[in-house]
Amino acid sequence: MTAAVLALVAAVPCIYWTQGIESRPTLESAGIKRLCVPPDQVDAWRKAGFNVTAVSDADFSAREALPVPGTTPRPGVASPTRAPWIVASGWRVMRAPAGKYSYAVPAGKGALALAEAAAYGADAVLKIDPADLASAGAMLTFLDSLPALDLPPVADFGVVDDGSPVTAEAMNLLARRNLLFEIEKAPSPRYRVNVAIGSAAYPAQDAADPSGFAQKIRAQLTDEQRSLRIYGSEVVIARLTSDGKRARVHLINYGGREIEGLRVRVRGPFQAGEAHIAGTGKAALQDLVVADGAIEFSLPKIGAYAVVDLR
Amino acid sequence: MHRRAFVRLLAAAAASAKAAGSDLVAGRLPDGGLQIRTDLPPLKIVSRYSPAATPGMPGPFPGRVVKVKSDKCVDTTTNTANDQVVREMMAQGMRALTGAATTADAWRRFFTPSDVVGIKVNCGGYPNCISAYEIVAETVRQLTTLGVPVSQIYIYERFQNQMDECNYAAHVPEGVQTVAAERANRNADNSGYDPETYLEANLFGEEDTRSSMMRLVSKRLTKIINIPNIKDHGASGATGCLKNIAYGSFSNVARTHQRGKTHTYSFIGTLASMEPIRSRTVLQIMDGIRGVWHGGPFARTTKYLFYPKQIMFATDPVAIDRLLLDIVDNERKAHGAISIWDRNPASLKMDDSRARDADPNVNIIIREPGHVEYAASLGLGVADLSQIKVQELTV
Repeated sequence: MTAAVLALVAAVPCIYWTQGIESRPTLESAGIKRLCVPPDQVDAWRKAGFNVTAVSDADFSAREALPVPGTTPRPGVASPTRAPWIVASGWRVMRAPAGKYSYAVPAGKGALALAEAAAYGADAVLKIDPADLASAGAMLTFLDSLPALDLPPVADFGVVDDGSPVTAEAMNLLARRNLLFEIEKAPSPRYRVNVAIGSAAYPAQDAADPSGFAQKIRAQLTDEQRSLRIYGSEVVIARLTSDGKRARVHLINYGGREIEGLRVRVRGPFQAGEAHIAGTGKAALQDLVVADGAIEFSLPKIGAYAVVDLR
Repeated sequence: MHRRAFVRLLAAAAASAKAAGSDLVAGRLPDGGLQIRTDLPPLKIVSRYSPAATPGMPGPFPGRVVKVKSDKCVDTTTNTANDQVVREMMAQGMRALTGAATTADAWRRFFTPSDVVGIKVNCGGYPNCISAYEIVAETVRQLTTLGVPVSQIYIYERFQNQMDECNYAAHVPEGVQTVAAERANRNADNSGYDPETYLEANLFGEEDTRSSMMRLVSKRLTKIINIPNIKDHGASGATGCLKNIAYGSFSNVARTHQRGKTHTYSFIGTLASMEPIRSRTVLQIMDGIRGVWHGGPFARTTKYLFYPKQIMFATDPVAIDRLLLDIVDNERKAHGAISIWDRNPASLKMDDSRARDADPNVNIIIREPGHVEYAASLGLGVADLSQIKVQELTV
């Protein structure tokens, strides 16, 4: 396990709200106190006690639009597993951590998009369906309740980013399989495995099958040596941060359905921890096992997002 | 909690294959001899449980099967079993298996009042071919007669929605537990499984590489009675004792077959060989009143239903399943269908279950009936027909 040098600066995603101040009761009942609003509405919302940031339509449009997170069937697309296709954007944020992002998501996806943005520290503004206000408000409240813990991300290998679409798709598949990587400009001695697509070790033609390519990297790492493993679901993507003594695991459930008993294995000296589960709150780790240089635990029912702090 | 797990790595059965003098990868040896393939994935067993002095499988009667037949056990026009006839078949079968003078003594051979007994049923063939209510009810009756409290009897399956369909509770005394590990086959409920007792394998590049034993099995039950059906199976060739107890007691097993290929060959037997399920599964009652000769394990229609009109009793799951293979294959032959041993690529319509359901000469996966022989290589029982002693009774 290697802690990547640069920690992402924590950022809290923001809901882009264009309805007027008369919608204040709706937002307050959803527990939402922080908004991005058009510049001409900033004063009114501030007077109403909201924490607001001015975002114009042009500002919103200028941001990089991220796809709607979730799972989707992709018939005809080669995949060696039965797992559904996950649409996730954490890798995009990792690729450009200083980027400015936007989401425009339909009903039912607001909370998940907020979770994804928060887990990766993305500077993101979200257009959500008003039907999602309650769940989005609950997610924002949850995010605000998390203990502050800014730790560097953990990676098991490096990926040299040449900016190409092929490398992008490879990163997408690597992230989707919970293979923890750091994006780098050149191979780093910190890692046993450095993936540079187009090199002799990683020919571009291999990466043309990104799923098979991800399996190749996985085999090189070996499952035993991976810093993090997830059992009990194929639709959870994790982000791990650690300073070697403490760790935080972000667990984003893209499946749209609650998961009970998700099992997580994290390598390292960790002996204990606690979970923070969106919609539930603080929870004890279940079936805790510390052995073979790793901690393993299960979680009670989780929805879109959970955070586990280990020590 | 710190723990030192018992970890066993099955090294792709290469050593066994060498001992058997064979590196064949397909088909059955013409002489019926044991054949272990060499192209098997590594399987890692993690379990803290030690085997019993005499593990339930193969138990005290390896290679021994009592087959009780009766033309009167089921009305084939209504698909209704005869409760009284089934009860008599059960009594004779249990006495013959154990050599006991009375039926109660026969059951006492396996169970005491302090036992917590699981009855592993099969609901996959609902509504036409599931573990017969009459057999399950008689099993419960015999256990309670011995003094096992109803609160210590669990009828179980993996999926609650299947248990709800079958509704065994309506056929047994109030207080008998009917339980499942998951609400449905959605890979979202893991809390019913023991995260410290599992088989680990990367079969097709899946991220979730563990199949965990039901907590009920590892933490609560002291004995298990296995009541499968005689059924064809699209991946394993046939499904009987071994597959019912293995795939019906562990999570995340559907991952073993996809895109025309299955790893059931080694996976079924290896799961069944894991402790504590191997030690605790002490009795096999094969419900052959009804059977499915194609399209299994499902039986949503009666199209492929047939009536073997028999119940088999054993402690050896392999011996029963070896007989099962021939029962299913002979029925298929009678209908002019390809053998369960067929590996012809021309028969394969990968993942096309609609074509499979319409045509008994279609496979969706290259089947692995050799899983029975593989299970024998793990010591779970006797697969060599010449070594299996069948006692046949008629009611």
